[in-house]
Order: sequence, then C-alpha cells, then structure tokens
Amino acid sequence: MKSFQNTKSALFYILPAFLLILTFVFIPIIFNLYYSFYSWSAFNMDGVFVGLKYYIKLFKDPVFYIALKNNSLFAIISILVQVGGGLVIAAVLEDKVIRRWQPVFRTIFFIPSVISIAVVGLLWQLLYNPDIGLINEALRALGQSELAHAWLGDSKTAIYAIVAMSQWQYTGYIVMLFLIAMHKVPGEFYEAATIDGANRIQTFFHITIPQIREMILVGSMITVIGAFKVFDEVYIMTFGGPGRSTEVLGTMLYRAAFRNDEMGYASAIATAIFLITLGLSLLQMRLAKSGKED
Amino acid sequence: MKSTRILLLACLSLLLVVAGCSNTSGSKATESDSIEIKFLHKWPQPEFSPYFDEIVKEFEDQNPTIKVKMEAVADEPMKDKLRVIMGGGDVPDIAFSWSGEFARMFVRSGAALDLTKYLEEDPEWKDSFIQASLQPFESDGKNYGIPLRFNGKFFVYSKEVFDRYNLAEPTTWDEFLVVLETLKTGGEVPIMLGNASPWASIHYLTGLNQKIVEDEVLRKDYNPKSGEFTDSGYIKALEYLKELADNQYFNKNVNSSSHDMASQQFLVGTGAMMYFELEEFPMIEENIPGNWGFFKMPDIKEGKGNQNYITGAPDGFIVSSKTKHPEEAIKFLKFLTSKESAEKLSEQLGWPSPIIGATNKDTALEEVANGVETLKDAEGMAEWLDTDVHAKIADVYLSNIQLLLDGTKSPEEIMKEVQAVAKEVQSEAKS
Repeated sequence: MKSFQNTKSALFYILPAFLLILTFVFIPIIFNLYYSFYSWSAFNMDGVFVGLKYYIKLFKDPVFYIALKNNSLFAIISILVQVGGGLVIAAVLEDKVIRRWQPVFRTIFFIPSVISIAVVGLLWQLLYNPDIGLINEALRALGQSELAHAWLGDSKTAIYAIVAMSQWQYTGYIVMLFLIAMHKVPGEFYEAATIDGANRIQTFFHITIPQIREMILVGSMITVIGAFKVFDEVYIMTFGGPGRSTEVLGTMLYRAAFRNDEMGYASAIATAIFLITLGLSLLQMRLAKSGKED
Repeated sequence: MKSTRILLLACLSLLLVVAGCSNTSGSKATESDSIEIKFLHKWPQPEFSPYFDEIVKEFEDQNPTIKVKMEAVADEPMKDKLRVIMGGGDVPDIAFSWSGEFARMFVRSGAALDLTKYLEEDPEWKDSFIQASLQPFESDGKNYGIPLRFNGKFFVYSKEVFDRYNLAEPTTWDEFLVVLETLKTGGEVPIMLGNASPWASIHYLTGLNQKIVEDEVLRKDYNPKSGEFTDSGYIKALEYLKELADNQYFNKNVNSSSHDMASQQFLVGTGAMMYFELEEFPMIEENIPGNWGFFKMPDIKEGKGNQNYITGAPDGFIVSSKTKHPEEAIKFLKFLTSKESAEKLSEQLGWPSPIIGATNKDTALEEVANGVETLKDAEGMAEWLDTDVHAKIADVYLSNIQLLLDGTKSPEEIMKEVQAVAKEVQSEAKS
C-alpha cells in the first residue's frame, strides 16, 4: 500500500516518458520560437538576428489572412458536419431498429478514414474533373448542366471542394468515436426514460448527449485542431491554387520553408499555428470543463 | 536497496534514449577497403529505374573498389527536398539538379563542386557533349554540372487534323494565330493545356519572354542580384499568352486539368495540338504512331529576343563540395555519360542525350533524333522560367499564371507583384 504514496519512485516511472516528450515536443517548440527571430536558410544555419521582422511581415502578408479564413472555414464546416452530423449518424446507428445492421454501416463509414490521402486526393480529383468527373456527369444526367462546374479550377469553389472531401473522409472516424462512447452509456438510463414517456429525440438530448459529453469534447478538439493543422489535403488537391485561393497555414509554411527557403519566416508561421491551436484547445477545455468528472 | 535499483533502472532507460539519438558513424569504418559514393537521382518510376540499376551494376563490376549507393526522389518533391538535403550533414556525393538558377543556387551557397578542372583535364570527355548542353550549368565561366538529358519543348500536332484543314506547320506567330483560328472555326479544340500544375503554362511563358524581351535585359533580370522586371516586354509576353486563352484556343477548364490528363485526351483525339517535351515523344509515338509532327514555338516578329532559341534545358548532376571522393564521383559521371551508356539511355528510355551522336536513328525514335538535331542548330536555350529565376520570383509567376488564364488578374497586376518580389530578392542577394 505504501508504494502508492511513494512520489519519488513514481517520478522515476514518469521519467522516460517525460524525457521523450521533452526532447520531441517541448524543446522543438522552444527552438522554433528562437529560430523565428533569425533569418536563416537550409544552407546557412547560423542566421542573422532580425527580431520581430518576420512577425511583422506575417501580419502584413495578405496570404496569411486568406489562409486564416480558409482554416476557419475548415474548422466551422468540420464541426458542423463531423461533430454535429457525426453525432446524429451515431445516434441513428445506435437506435434499436438499425442496430442489427450497425457493423455494416460502421465499416462503410469508417473505410474512407483509413485510405491514404494520396489515393483519396487522386480519387476526388477525378470526381471533380469538369469534363469527365462523376459529379458533373451526374449533374448533367439530371438535367442540371448549368450547375456543372470546374470545382477545383475556380478560385471561389476550390476551398469548399477540398473541405467537402475532408468531411467525406473523416466523418466516419468521429462517428466511430461517438459509437464507442454510446456503447458505454448504461441501458437502464434509456429504459427509465422510456418508462417516463420520453421519445427518442428527448432521450437523445437528455441522456445521450450529457453522457457522452467528454467524447464530444474530444471529437470537436480533434476536428478543430486538425482543421488548423490541415496540409496534405490542400497540398495534393491544389497546392494552394488557383492563385493563392486555397492556401492554408500549413501550405503557407511549406511554401516559405521549402520553396522560398525562408526558414525564419516559416518558423514564425509555425509559431502562429501553435498559438492558434493552443488557444483554441484551452478555450474548448474551459468551456467544457473537462477533467472534472461529476 | 530498493531505491538504488530504481535509480539503476532510470539510468538504463536514459542510456537507451541517448543511445538511440546518437549517430551510428562508428560502424562504417570497417569497410575501409572499398569507397562508397552516394548517388541521388530523380527517377524512381519502375519504367526508368532499371536503367540506373544496370548502369550502377556495370560500373561496380568494372570498379570493384567503389560502391555506389543509389537513391531516388520523384520530380516535384525533388524541388523542395534537395535544398534541405544539400544543406544537411549527410549529403549525397552526386545529386540530380536542373540547370540554370536551380543549380546556381547551390553554386552560390558553396554546396556544388567546381568541375571545370575535371572537364579541362579530359578534353575528349568535354567535347563529347553538345556544347549548348554544358552552358546552362555554367556560372561565372565555370562548369558546375554534367548533363544527362537534353530536353526541348515543341508543339506536337495531329497530322490527321492538320490535313483535314489543309494546314502547314506555322513558322511565325501570325501564321500560328491563323492556324488556331481555322481550327476553332472548324469546331476543333486548337490546343490542349493541362494547367492544374502551373508549370505547364510557365513553359509557354518561358519561350514568350525569351522571344519578346531583349537577351541582355532578360539575362540581367533573371539574375537575382540585378533583377527588376521593368521592361514592357514582360507584360507583352503575358498578353500573348492571355490572347490564346481569351480567344478560347485552349480547352475549357485548363486550371482543373492536369498535364497528364490533357495529354491522355490529346492522344485519344481531342484537340489538334499540344505543347510537349522531347522526352514525351516516345509516349506519343506509342499511342498515335505516324500520325503526328512537331514544330518549335513560332517566331514573333516584333520580339526583340533572339528568335533562334529553343525552349528547354538539360538536366543532370552536380557533385557536392563536401564529397570526400571527388575522383570517384567524376569517374562514375564519366561512365554515366560515356557513349555506350548514353546510347543505352536513348534506346531503353527514349530520352534525348546530350552526348554527340548518341541519339541517332538507330538508338532512338526518328522524331527524337530530329528534335535533338534542332536543338543542336539552335543558337541557345531558353531555360524553364520556373527553374531559371530565383525561387521566390518563380513562385509569384507560378501562382499567378492560373489567374491570368481564368481572367481574374491582368498582366500589369502580375508584373507589379513580380517587380516587388524582384526588389526584395535583390536586396537579400546583396546583403
């Protein structure tokens, strides 16, 4: 029994994990901040101190605001579709009538999230193709040919086309998380509610949602942080184009670092991304009062 | 007793972490009798890589003391990765590089080895290259790169369609416009263009800039230290391209179609023409044998640049300045560019070789051999704009050219942005 109170030996057990996190997470973050004050390139590691120059440049850069707007779009739509929509899908799948078929649907919804993004990107590029793509073909077949569109080739629709692909890919993953949480809700709660005369919608709002609150928080945190870290979807589909219309913070960082060889500027962008995601997750944790299980 | 054991365990775990982080240079020393050179190229595709496997194996058989460790990275990622690799600690001895500014970037940072000495020592080797293929790898009169392929860009047309409208290969831009108009009125798509990756239209602009802007001005502007891009010719070049788009001489939705997709469509009969690279000729012949011809970008009368240039460039290899085995690296490059290897390159891969006589009617497709002849006759090369100017300027051109074609940005607006970046680049290059 005594060993539970032995904080000294407990510290030793934490040490390896702590060292790993220190080396691979915290030290790089601090270094990144330090590097963002220097002008340096891949060839020239000992840079020149430039102070806040890159942060000033960042706030003056019109692409930064395009990227922020696109990342926010990503976040808002993802919350609505993946968390909101995912919750509804999970609840429907948990319903007595459909539960028998749940494994089938679960698998179908989950499959997209295990396919490599390179494959998904290629698949959707073909779907969106204005001449031979399935989407436009379907619209034409339905007689709506004026709706047929160069989805990825138009600066106005390209970002929505990418966001839509992302929803298709990851909603199933969030649904899976919700289903796991719903399985843990004791059946007695629903029985009691049914005896009290609650209908399905009422039980959904008064039992399911409060019971899986923690998972909803986790799900929304994953989607929002994911939305601000998004890179591969955009990189594969448009690489920020047409023009700069689909640029997100991730591609902006990549472009600065590896195309234009401005590592200092890239570090400044990375710091901005870090601060945004840190702020958002703190906010969400505060709002949902996570960790204080009642 | 108990706490010492825990302490020991903690130390052990720490040791493991540290050991995992240390580099493993110690173990390499044992193979001291054979020398290892690292060779990085950009053709990991299954249709190309066997050629390199074969060359490396032959070389190793002939030189048992040298081991070649080969790696390959694909085209698009190479543009980003090479910079990081060359700046890092573990650099390849021989690395792929495009010519022009891309190679000069390594020269400026001191990462590329001066190869002039080695070429001078072996005049036979030096003279085996078509001279125009060595020149783009020069910087301040010194050679920094050895070309492997020699690439040019040509308009490929369908003979069937041209015959149907009684059209001849145009030699001037005005004739070209007449051809395009005839095709359009006839209900054809005059030119196929896949501009989802904007380098496709940058290749048009490469030739247009070169033909319209005076050579001297162009050279001054493409140099990061003195680039201003204030000549009105640059706007005019963009206008020429815009005219093609505005008159609907390209297929619809150019920005959402990739070059591969567009060329597939061309090969199954959509469109009368497409702008292709010499290295793509074998693929065209395979799909539409005998039913195609090619011509170079037509001359522009009002243009101030040399009209007898061809758009294209060699690509090849640079040697790292950090290499410990320069002699062995050169030996391998000599083997790679020997006439036998070059003939094999033309024969197996269909690529045009910069080695004189290697790309001939016996080893390559007749059209490819003719293309190489045209390159030999040209007075110079207009190197790809996106690798010939500073990366930041190329970036502005690349991202804006899609907007030029869909009509959201005007040539003047684009050049204003280019000028602003050129100024920035200039002040950085000087400091």
